[in-house]
Amino acid sequence: MKVKKTKPANASNDVNVSDAGQTAAIKANKDIALLSVEKLKKKMRRRNNIEAWILLIPTVFILYTMVWRPTVMAFWWSFFKIEGFTPTDEFVGLNNFKIVVTNSYFVPILLNTCKFVMWSMIIGYIPPLLIAAGLNEMVHFRSGLRLLIYLPVVIPGIAAMLIWTKMYDPGEIGLLNMALSWLDIAPYDWLMDPDFTIIGIVIYMTWKGFGGSMLLYFASMQGISTELYEAALIDGAGPFKRFWYVTRPAIEGLLILNFVRQIIGVFQVMQEPFAMTDGGPNFASTTLSLQLYRYGFLSAGRVGQAMALGVIIFLILIVFTIFYFWLNKKVESRY
Amino acid sequence: MKRFNEKKAACLSSAELKTFKGQLLYWIIFAILIVVALCSLIPAIWAVSSAFKKSTEIIADPSFFPKEISWEIAKTRVVDAWVKLDLAPTIVNTLIRSVGELISRLVVCGFGGYVLSKLKPTGSKLLFVLIVWTMMMPGQIRTVPNYISYTAFPFARNYLEEQGLVLGVDVLNTFIPFWLGAGADCYAVLLFKNNFDTLSTSYVEAAKIDGCTNYGVFFKIMFPLSMPIVIYESIGVLSASWADYMGPLIISPDKVTMPLKLYHMSGNATIEYNTYFMGLVFGSIPPFIIFAFFQRRIMGGITVGGVKG
Repeated sequence: MKVKKTKPANASNDVNVSDAGQTAAIKANKDIALLSVEKLKKKMRRRNNIEAWILLIPTVFILYTMVWRPTVMAFWWSFFKIEGFTPTDEFVGLNNFKIVVTNSYFVPILLNTCKFVMWSMIIGYIPPLLIAAGLNEMVHFRSGLRLLIYLPVVIPGIAAMLIWTKMYDPGEIGLLNMALSWLDIAPYDWLMDPDFTIIGIVIYMTWKGFGGSMLLYFASMQGISTELYEAALIDGAGPFKRFWYVTRPAIEGLLILNFVRQIIGVFQVMQEPFAMTDGGPNFASTTLSLQLYRYGFLSAGRVGQAMALGVIIFLILIVFTIFYFWLNKKVESRY
Repeated sequence: MKRFNEKKAACLSSAELKTFKGQLLYWIIFAILIVVALCSLIPAIWAVSSAFKKSTEIIADPSFFPKEISWEIAKTRVVDAWVKLDLAPTIVNTLIRSVGELISRLVVCGFGGYVLSKLKPTGSKLLFVLIVWTMMMPGQIRTVPNYISYTAFPFARNYLEEQGLVLGVDVLNTFIPFWLGAGADCYAVLLFKNNFDTLSTSYVEAAKIDGCTNYGVFFKIMFPLSMPIVIYESIGVLSASWADYMGPLIISPDKVTMPLKLYHMSGNATIEYNTYFMGLVFGSIPPFIIFAFFQRRIMGGITVGGVKG
């Protein structure tokens, strides 16, 4: 905007220099006219600024109170002693962090969180892609199938979690044990088994969430030009080769981005283990975020530790997030 | 197999579908998709069918479908569960929360996007950069500081409590944190901004010459022209408020919304199994209504909010 403002002034100067024969009166008139235009422009600009910032007040106020300030305060307060929910002025240095990290459950909980991420990658990353590719080939019931596969996404999270908790019920009433009893197999503990509990929750998360990524992949597969496939066909590429050399490169960017996004998302998992197993049996499905909730709201007098753990989670995740945005820029510049 | 002939070439082409190998591959994929669709449906169907069973039947004699069912039994099940779970105030609470969130999200984020895109006052560049950076920040860290600030809103905490001076308002157990929180969505602001960027500035100028204020421009011109984003954001807000139980559990345990009711139900041993499942069915109905309403948009245009791939 600034450049525009100075331009007319320069232009008038040039005119004045080249046209030296102009009378002083005309020149003065011109200057006055230019001056008033400049003034008017400035005035309008100021009015525009004021109006715009009034419109921005709600956005800035909410972002400040709900996002920016709490983030800074969490860092600040993690170095102070907190009594109840009231931060005091007593500086304790890294004491809160020390208590969190030296807790005998800290390492197992960190490992649990990593296990969640690992299993969700193994179980949940590839199927949406394959199903989207399969759907893309269908000529029968394509939209019907797509609708049915998408349905779990519509069920609200907590209802779906509770349905699955009952499906995994260790007694006879659980659907899975019912199915085992039809096959004359003894009932299994499912979520009560510390080795299976994370996998069980990840299976639920995959069931609940894969419709969304399936739809994303499907939409971008629809955008691939038919001519590319026809050209590959003429070159003699079979169905799998065409998938590998035509479909895959076209959605590669999306695949990479989803990979990092899934890591970030699953690393913060809290609602699922909290509702389905309450972190049990014996901390086997407790994640970092769930532990943060426990420090903050369930065990009295550990709010300082909750802040410290929040900062630790933040620092781990910010690395992935920056990587994600860097990747996003690279992917966008490629297409 | 007329449809095979018209199929566009993808991984399978119409020529290949005339061969036995191609057809075999096609039907295998079809079978797999049917199995996947069944897997996504079975838990939901099981929940609905359990909701209509007798409580004793669920425990003593488990089966997939109810042993006896009639119109009368179904009606008593529904009415019973509704009365036992006391759902009417719960649904009213959830409606209040979700409508407030919807308005807040659309107005606050919409205004933000409009100013950043069209008015561009001095300093908006800096704000834009800040918002992009905020989008990157993981949210978990804010839970506890936010809770502390809700006891003395809009301040960070009760600074002068010892002097007996109480500044700010305690907004715990109200819907205000949710309403404001819905507006604190940087992603939505950017979505709105990007969408308004595609609309020509001449609209704004023409309307302003005709004497329209900024509010008028926003509500009468920008808003109707960006319906896909508005609908996308509406679906997101509405379904989130029908699914979030952690927020109400921490912030407003007294104002029971539907998801919180369902969560409490899971820890309550006095609730019978059929009532439990009926509660889950009730809790799922509103999101399904939203979905049925916007089904076309969701299935067709969800890439609006997704990453470009």
